[in-house]
Amino acid sequence: MKNKQIFLYFIAVLLTLIFLVPVIYIIASSFKPMNELFSANPTFFPREFTLDNYIKAIKRGNFLRYIFNSFFVATTSTIIAVLINTMSGYALAKFRFKGDTFIIMVILSTIMLPLEVIMVPIFSVLRAFGLYDSMWALIVPAAATPTGIFLMRQYLLTIPDEIIQSARIDGASEWRIFYSIILPNAKPAIATLAIFSFMWRWNDYIWPLIAISSPEKYTIQLAIANFTGEFGADYSSIIAMSAISMIPMLIVFIIFQKQFVQGTARSGMKG
Amino acid sequence: MKKQSYKSYQFRQKAIPYLFLAPNLIIFTTFIIFPAFVGVYYSFTDMTLFTFGTPNFIGLTNYIELFQDEEFLAALKNIVLLVIATVPLIFTTALLIALLLVQPIKGKNFWRAVYYWPVMISPIVVGIIWQWILAGNFGLFNTTLKLLGVGPIETLINPRFAWWSVVFAKVWSRTGYFMIIFMAALLSIPQSLYEAAKVDGASRLQRFWHVTYPALKPARLMVFILLTMEIFKIYPMVLTLTGGGPFESTQFTVQYIYETAFKSYQIGYSSAMSVIMLLFVTVFSAFNFFLQRGGKNS
Repeated sequence: MKNKQIFLYFIAVLLTLIFLVPVIYIIASSFKPMNELFSANPTFFPREFTLDNYIKAIKRGNFLRYIFNSFFVATTSTIIAVLINTMSGYALAKFRFKGDTFIIMVILSTIMLPLEVIMVPIFSVLRAFGLYDSMWALIVPAAATPTGIFLMRQYLLTIPDEIIQSARIDGASEWRIFYSIILPNAKPAIATLAIFSFMWRWNDYIWPLIAISSPEKYTIQLAIANFTGEFGADYSSIIAMSAISMIPMLIVFIIFQKQFVQGTARSGMKG
Repeated sequence: MKKQSYKSYQFRQKAIPYLFLAPNLIIFTTFIIFPAFVGVYYSFTDMTLFTFGTPNFIGLTNYIELFQDEEFLAALKNIVLLVIATVPLIFTTALLIALLLVQPIKGKNFWRAVYYWPVMISPIVVGIIWQWILAGNFGLFNTTLKLLGVGPIETLINPRFAWWSVVFAKVWSRTGYFMIIFMAALLSIPQSLYEAAKVDGASRLQRFWHVTYPALKPARLMVFILLTMEIFKIYPMVLTLTGGGPFESTQFTVQYIYETAFKSYQIGYSSAMSVIMLLFVTVFSAFNFFLQRGGKNS
């Protein structure tokens, strides 16, 4: 019994090293001066601590702008996502109407059409609608997610019909019922959807890749990827950018760990 | 008068669910479903990035060309092999770690958080992290080997090593996610089943095969399908990890589709690839579905 315990802890610690060391290493590297980064005798932690890489990254190609863009996109898209996915979830949970199975099929079919695979026609459609190279092309289309709808529907099923009925009898409009009864009662599910949506948008590469061409509209992921692809890519600032880009996610994760775990467990939280 | 307003009230009530669904449905049809049909249409044309107006209809030409295009066939074979290698690996690792974390050990929440954390890192940055560790003779990987008295060995300039590093980086970054799904499923298995098996004298392994594994069926099915879809779509992580190289050894279908469209400007041709790829995704998902269903029924 004792041996088994020791073995379990040994595995747990080993796994911790595997999952944690790479992240710590990239953060440690981001504080190394140039000569240490490309030294033939590298150490794990910096011998000499410097912020040069960060300063260089900020000076180079508007790094703060990319962070701002990512925040703007992630925040607005999340607000829209919460609103429209809750609306759809509400309709599917609390109304019976003609064609509901068909609509569910339509929503499910979007899961089988991965963005990555249909990038090219999406690009054409964005161009035809004049949305190409607009931030709204990153914000609006991505806000609608089948996962979000089903998460909200699932949760809203637990709200008793009587509350809605009595509000209707009191003469409340449907929109009013939605924002003064449904939204406040769905808070836990909304929190889950919101943090997942924020993460999806913050980490997203495919939508920015399809939709954006001007450098001043780059999100942080698009900027990092494009700089990596450049000839003679400057790894010192790329590493600094990568390290910074993880910080918001780390903060969100530390605060909302429970929601992430529960959301994932409820399965299939996929952007 | 009263009747009429009741009718209009009824009509409004009927319209309401559709109105609530409208924003989502408009977005889905405009930006996902409609483009998918447009893609199918393009795949029968000679559309390029610079075609304005109507492209010429060329029937199955793109598809015929596609199956003579060695680079495409290589990318297709590559992605199928990647799915075959990566899906069982992540599946098994995630299940094993989940089994570890439902044992009575201390600090569960801490371990769980640490293993889950890479899930939160964007694929672009995951690629950068592993590129930085693996590349060259002086990365963390080769330096560690040197300390152990081996190496340095060829890393990302070696096609085989590069390919497996894609597998490894994917396992590293996605295991935590599926671990959580398995943990939830494991914790929902009623304890009484285990007690009964114990009374019947089942060994630990027998208990796993006859109680745990069958009870995990829904979770297994879901993990398999989610994983397969995910690996088929692989692109951003590879982009920063290997860039598809060396010698196209890590070029997978999405990258080839993208480059055919945006670097060779052949929209029609690349759309034909997308159609083939969609067929693959569907067939593989269906295959997984039946594989899991056909298994031992509980």
